[in-house]
Amino acid sequence: MAALLSVEGLTKRFSGLAALDQVSFEIREGEIVGLIGPNGAGKTTLFSIIAGSQPPTSGKILFEGRDFTRVKPFRAVHAGIARTHQIPQPFLSMTVRENVEVGLRFGRDPGGARNLVKEVTEILELVGIASLENMAAVTLSVGDLKRLELARTLATRPRLLLCDEVCAGLTECEMQSILGLLRRIQALGTTIIYVEHNLRAILSTCHHVIVLNFGKKLAEGPPETMQNDPAVIEAYIGKKA
Amino acid sequence: MTFVDFLNLLISALLLAGTYAAMAIGMTVIYGVMKIVNLAHAGFLMLGAYFVYELHERAGLHPLLGVLLAFPAFYVVGVLVHWALGRGVPVSDKPTLASLLLMFGLWLVLQNIGYLVWGTDDRAILTPMTFATIRFGEITIPKIGLVVFASAVISLAALEFVLHRTWFGRSIRALIQNRYSCRIVGIPVERTARRTFGLGIAFAGAAGGLLALLYPFSPDFGRPFLLRSFVIIVLGGLESFSGVFVGSLILALVETFSIFIVPSSYQPAISFSLLVVALIVLPGGVAGFAARMRSRRAE
Amino acid sequence: MSAAERSPGLAARPLAVLPPLILLGLLAALPLLNLGANSVKVLFLTFVSIAASVGWNILGGFAGQVSFGFAVFYGLGAYTTAVGINEGLNPYLTYPLAGAVAALASLLVGLPTFRLRGPYFAIATIGVSEATRVVMTNLEFTGGASGYRITEHVPFRQLEHYFTGLMLAALAVGLSIIVRRSRFGLGLRAIRDDQDAAADSGVNPYALKLGAHAIAAALTAAAGGVYARYAAFIDPEGVFGFPRGVGILLMPVIGGVNTIWGPVIGGGVYGVIEEELVARFPQLHLLLYGVLVMLIILFEPGGVVGLLQRTRRFVLRRREASWQPS
Repeated sequence: MAALLSVEGLTKRFSGLAALDQVSFEIREGEIVGLIGPNGAGKTTLFSIIAGSQPPTSGKILFEGRDFTRVKPFRAVHAGIARTHQIPQPFLSMTVRENVEVGLRFGRDPGGARNLVKEVTEILELVGIASLENMAAVTLSVGDLKRLELARTLATRPRLLLCDEVCAGLTECEMQSILGLLRRIQALGTTIIYVEHNLRAILSTCHHVIVLNFGKKLAEGPPETMQNDPAVIEAYIGKKA
Repeated sequence: MTFVDFLNLLISALLLAGTYAAMAIGMTVIYGVMKIVNLAHAGFLMLGAYFVYELHERAGLHPLLGVLLAFPAFYVVGVLVHWALGRGVPVSDKPTLASLLLMFGLWLVLQNIGYLVWGTDDRAILTPMTFATIRFGEITIPKIGLVVFASAVISLAALEFVLHRTWFGRSIRALIQNRYSCRIVGIPVERTARRTFGLGIAFAGAAGGLLALLYPFSPDFGRPFLLRSFVIIVLGGLESFSGVFVGSLILALVETFSIFIVPSSYQPAISFSLLVVALIVLPGGVAGFAARMRSRRAE
Repeated sequence: MSAAERSPGLAARPLAVLPPLILLGLLAALPLLNLGANSVKVLFLTFVSIAASVGWNILGGFAGQVSFGFAVFYGLGAYTTAVGINEGLNPYLTYPLAGAVAALASLLVGLPTFRLRGPYFAIATIGVSEATRVVMTNLEFTGGASGYRITEHVPFRQLEHYFTGLMLAALAVGLSIIVRRSRFGLGLRAIRDDQDAAADSGVNPYALKLGAHAIAAALTAAAGGVYARYAAFIDPEGVFGFPRGVGILLMPVIGGVNTIWGPVIGGGVYGVIEEELVARFPQLHLLLYGVLVMLIILFEPGGVVGLLQRTRRFVLRRREASWQPS
């Protein structure tokens, strides 16, 4: 099967310091791919570049075979690449419903005769915040903001969803429900790249894992293999004496 | 244009650049730390001019002494203003509509105070230096320009010392980079911001005094200089101190040498044209441009 | 009961258009009362102000991009209409022409400045305003600083101006409502809240800001044109001066930015302030406006509309509390 996304030799330097160094990988359609690595490994930078928020220093990004290397963020969204942020970035002056509406009306499939009200409700029900639809986004709790962030992103009808630590700061219970949600989204046909610190979350959810360390791709493979890869263990825990 | 003419112009441009740098640095400091575009800068420039003027007229104080006194006086004013505006001064890292309008309101108030106290007439500070010149062969340098330049350079050197050698200065520079991390490492963000505001206003006041030695002034004195300060800090990349020097130099050179191309009645439009060129050609200012060049060379 | 009636989203929607229409009808019928020429003039000037104020709000309020330079569009509109009429154009054709000229000019300002983030746009508008005034002061074919006179070979009919002004204000409000409720308006709100998040939702911030700027500029220019025909004489200091741009910004700020009716109320309040306070204390007008802006930002960023909403909530809460004491 052809790759949905392929990243070739991606490098990003900040005044000489390499945040990403010759990173290459491919993502196949329909997978949930875990992206793990210690702090500062370059995970968020990688997301920013794929989503178009930052230009890479060099390297190439192909989405469905087309060059998406220095594409503007909203163009990436129109093509079907959408990202969530580690720190949710809701539209604070809007209600929950309006927040989602923005994505629906400006996302991959903005036009046409459609039932906006129904579509918003469906998305809110999917992420589990339908009861909050008329609340102002300012009033939401952290957990609900994370769900809203996901809803906002899903509203753009992505083909590839970039999830940045959606579970950070959540309780075990909330985390389980978000992971279940990701599986449901994937089952609906969206490919997901999922950044996570929590190895257990990755192992239970992902089909494939990519490990980054200091901007380099350390390893990739199925989660069970990664768990026992000496290089991965070293990066996470340190060298055995 | 003869070579001597050229040299004369070049020297006057350099002298002007020094004064411009002192004028714009206050705005950069405040923008860097608080992300406020201080539109009231124009008002404080104007008040600085009258401060020095009044001390000179009433107390017979030497204008340069007046400029020196302007630093502490306007520092106090700045701290008081920051305290009075309190919650109106934003805490976010993004420049906000509210802070812009707040400073704008303050500018209107200051300007009106100027009109109430001093009326609409142009004033000037005249000293024996005003029309004196120094000659080196065929090159003439206006003495006042030299004195003002020297004062500006000394005050900038003092600022440089404060920024790099004191904890206050280090906190300022840290705040410019990342307010959030500053809180974590225990820098008193609010206090530093207040003092920085005072520092910025101190420089505005003193620079206004220096400018008053060069040009006649009225309560609307600040507006053209406000725009020039903008141009300079935009050229410099908004938050960079060294950028301010480069920006001042570029503006002074362009203004001085453009008299050959642009009719003098269009002169006020020059700083704006430069602004647009800067925005199109150098987004991120000279500093950003230099950084891009560096990273390109690193390839 | 009354609290339930007032809560949003209930059946009141179609009735919401009634009060504005009644207001419009009343204003249209007002000249029947044989008002004095001066009252008609004040009302006309208020309509013109409202049109500019509502225009500014589409960019400054909805999209959150503060401009200090709307005098540029007001002045361009005034001069376009003036030159157009003198060249023999029908006055009513010159207003859309004025709008088109200003919309083009808005692109020239917006194209370089909207690409960057931060305060660049606001800063640049002060510069644009100054530069345009300087150029117009020196432009010979419009008489430079000494001004430009409109010669019309029809008798002056004040009521015609009155209705033109009223129609323009109504058009502005209508446009503002349409923008607010449209997909475009939703995108502008998203940009105002968080430009990055908007782009991450597929909004093209650059294009939308340019669009809002153009609409706002066109409305302001039409206002300038309508004013110019009434005044029959314009000069750069009057229509391009920095105080003009400041006035256009003050109205929506006073009334309440980012609302439909705030800029309208602000236009009215501004007219009253100009007539009553500034005319009486001309030497204090900057102080008055300065203090007003600072008070609004510090204590009621929603302006008059915000104040009204707050009062209403307060009253409602009192009433509810008196019903169910706990």
